[in-house]
Amino acid sequence: MLKFKYKHFFLLPGLIVLVAIIIFPLLFTIRVSFSSWDVVKPGLDWLGGKNYGRMFVDLRFWEALTRLSMMAVGSVLIQYVLGFGLALMVWRDVTLKRFVRVLFLVPMMTTPVIMSVIWRTILHESLGPANDIVQLFGFEPLTWLSTGGMAMVSVITVEVWQWTPFMFLLMLAGLLSLPNEPYMAAAIDGAGPFRTFFSVTFPLMAPISIGAILIRLIEASKLMETVYVLTSGGPGTATETSSYYIYIRGLRDYQIGYAASLSLTYLVIMIISLTIIAKVLTYKFARG
Amino acid sequence: MKTTYLLLKYLAILLWSSFVALPFLWALTTSFKTANGVTGGATYIPWLQYKPSLEGWKVLVRTGGQGIDIVAPYISSAVVTLSASLISLALGTLAAYGLSRFTFRLGFIKNSDITFFFISQRIMPPIVLAIPFFLMLQFLGLLDTIAGLILVYVALLLPIATWVMVDFFNNVPRQIDEMAMIDGCNPIGAFLRVVLPNSLPGITVAGLFCIIFGWNDFFFAFTLTFTKTQLLPVAVVALNSSVTPWWSLSASALVSVAPLVIIAFFVERFLSSGNMAGAIR
Amino acid sequence: MALILQNIDIRENGVAHLDNINLMFSRGGLYTVLGRTLAGKTTLLRTIAGLQQPQKGTLMLHGSDYLQLPVWKRRVAMVYQQFINYPHLNVLANVAFPLRRAGVPRAEAHQRAREVLGKVGLTDFEKRRPAALSGGQQQRVALARALVKRAEILLLDEPLVNLDYKLREQLREDFQNIFEGQDDAIVVYTTTEPAEAIQLGHQMIIMDEGGIIQQGEPLAVFNAPATIRCAEIINDPPMNIFYGTIENGDIQLQGGIQLKVPAHMAHLPHGPYRFGLRAADLRLGSMIGSQVELSEISGSQTILHLRGDIGTFILYEEGVYQHAIGDTVQVDLNSNRIYSFSVDGDLIAGPAAAEAYRR
Repeated sequence: MLKFKYKHFFLLPGLIVLVAIIIFPLLFTIRVSFSSWDVVKPGLDWLGGKNYGRMFVDLRFWEALTRLSMMAVGSVLIQYVLGFGLALMVWRDVTLKRFVRVLFLVPMMTTPVIMSVIWRTILHESLGPANDIVQLFGFEPLTWLSTGGMAMVSVITVEVWQWTPFMFLLMLAGLLSLPNEPYMAAAIDGAGPFRTFFSVTFPLMAPISIGAILIRLIEASKLMETVYVLTSGGPGTATETSSYYIYIRGLRDYQIGYAASLSLTYLVIMIISLTIIAKVLTYKFARG
Repeated sequence: MKTTYLLLKYLAILLWSSFVALPFLWALTTSFKTANGVTGGATYIPWLQYKPSLEGWKVLVRTGGQGIDIVAPYISSAVVTLSASLISLALGTLAAYGLSRFTFRLGFIKNSDITFFFISQRIMPPIVLAIPFFLMLQFLGLLDTIAGLILVYVALLLPIATWVMVDFFNNVPRQIDEMAMIDGCNPIGAFLRVVLPNSLPGITVAGLFCIIFGWNDFFFAFTLTFTKTQLLPVAVVALNSSVTPWWSLSASALVSVAPLVIIAFFVERFLSSGNMAGAIR
Repeated sequence: MALILQNIDIRENGVAHLDNINLMFSRGGLYTVLGRTLAGKTTLLRTIAGLQQPQKGTLMLHGSDYLQLPVWKRRVAMVYQQFINYPHLNVLANVAFPLRRAGVPRAEAHQRAREVLGKVGLTDFEKRRPAALSGGQQQRVALARALVKRAEILLLDEPLVNLDYKLREQLREDFQNIFEGQDDAIVVYTTTEPAEAIQLGHQMIIMDEGGIIQQGEPLAVFNAPATIRCAEIINDPPMNIFYGTIENGDIQLQGGIQLKVPAHMAHLPHGPYRFGLRAADLRLGSMIGSQVELSEISGSQTILHLRGDIGTFILYEEGVYQHAIGDTVQVDLNSNRIYSFSVDGDLIAGPAAAEAYRR
């Protein structure tokens, strides 16, 4: 069929492995989503679009999606601002750079779930240091894990702790690769630090900012592990994300058919939203 | 004006450093506590506020029903991560070289589409694959086994390895490959003898990424294993119940992330020695 | 026995990289290919080496189809214009590499490598890595590796273009010595510099826009360029071209300048022509007025870019003369050295064989 060419030797092993392990399961999921596979009745029957119909009116699914969007966008934005800010502070400062780089690198290399386990003990309202610190600053103790709103804040806090270093490293690398000329021009024109930032640094860093934000958004949209350990989706369903809800339906309630339809819809929505966000950001901030 | 700015800067760095260090320090002191150090409220300084004990750490080495076995999960994680990383690196580097050097065309699908296919796997939420993986491993009889996990992890790490290496190879000038072929190497020989030896920075970066992502995965290990095989993150999270006292929990957690912290030091060394300048973009 | 290219064509997006190339290279021949950038010289070499496949045409070596052979089976050696060496091997291993690939045992390979390193003057550099060498040394390592193979075809693609002037001169001399020793090989050397092409080759090929516009013995080609384009390429500075006619036994140049028809053009009929004159055949004098547009001083020579009623032209003068832009300068033409071309650009008559000037 295909004459043996050297180029096939290079690409095909990896490609075949990837296709086999990912495409077939994906196709299988699509097929399953049209069936009613569950604990009681395992097997592939044909339900038509019933699962999808159920999904449309499943409020819990759509609420989970909204919560996910809020937590993902919120935490990524905070990571961006903090990461960029820290990079700006360290960028021109030779002495700080080395010390800070190691310290800032560590969180992102640790196992997120394990750190979440530790955070759960920190955020314990009466036995953990979180409220001690809060009271040190003169505030009332916070209900970190027992009220809906605060629970979201807790999840975002843990995510920010874990991933700001990633933003920091990317932005630092970007800053270090900027050309010098615009800064000399700005200095000659008498621009102060704020002017320089908004007119020179920020626009020049636009492509890198967009790339970093997109990468983090892609990862953040899968948010599940932190929620599982920290809040179990709670209190109630206050921090339940799409992944977590699908996990409950699919691997706890074992409603595999329905969960398949949920996960495919979730995947398609993610792909579409991320593409739109990417296009909008590039159009607004990185034209030309 | 300049000095206030400097002061603010150092203050901010200090605050952030404290924030970063908080979980580690807290886990560290908690691991030396016993019931009286925990139940009254948060305590911080040993001997002053609580009586330190090695109970949290002793539990890790105790065998039998009383102890927490942290060694078996460590080994399982190491075996799975290293095997999957090696396989992914091998397959990914080969595929990346093919995509970088040759033109592929299948109908309207070209090189950039194939590369995008590899990279876009990262968008896939784990949950979408978890169910079919579960059924697939069940069918193959590989549920709850190391081999089954390695299979799944290769699917996860292969895109990462390929992504890093394609970018890297695109920055290695083609003339080296051509010269090797003129000197008598077929394309495979050119790759093995000339390109690979000059690709160590890229391979190191790709390998590091694979190892880190593999070691830190929780979800797939969680859904695809039960009792026979247990990876480290799953083992630690399993302790996250009200039954396990905080001191053993903290000790287990610290022991589990310690190697990663050490690796972070080496990664920083590697970063600042300038090797990565060309490898990452 | 020879390397024969017939009707070789390589086109991309409507641009011809190689346009109907027909060439024959004989054993032991030293061929220089002269052309401007993007003329197709590199594409030609890469096609011979096998790095590019022609869309049309045949390539035969000793009567057998060379196109079927993949790169690594063709017995060619190539030197690139960017100094290409294997960074992870030291100099000796670099030069021995092709021998080892061909199955030559280590000891013998290293010995042959040492011999060639001696020939290029790098005997003490065996243990060094290419990155620790200067540009000229790196290129000599590349050359050594190409020579050690004793390949049937040796290709050099503008090997000196990335070196500085002094180094280029010195290596050019070394090349001549080295090439004398390659008795059986076909050597093809490309360059953009006419002086280099004329000095080094037994046969010269001029390429332009993917096609071959003239070939032959270097001095013969120099003295009788087949077209205006050949004349432009083979002279540095390019040959000046003036518009004019021959009437009533005189040359009438544009702008009203009149010259007597020189002896070698006496037989030409009346009509319009293009007249060519080398920059060195113009002198500062009194015949023709012109304005200085640009003045370059190179070494101990002056090159003036002038504009007059006669057109724009370049004058090349021994000695250093200061001229400001806008100065008026009087110029003499040596009509005994005028070439006449048809209006379409083909050579009609040229002066008697004169020495190629050397710089």
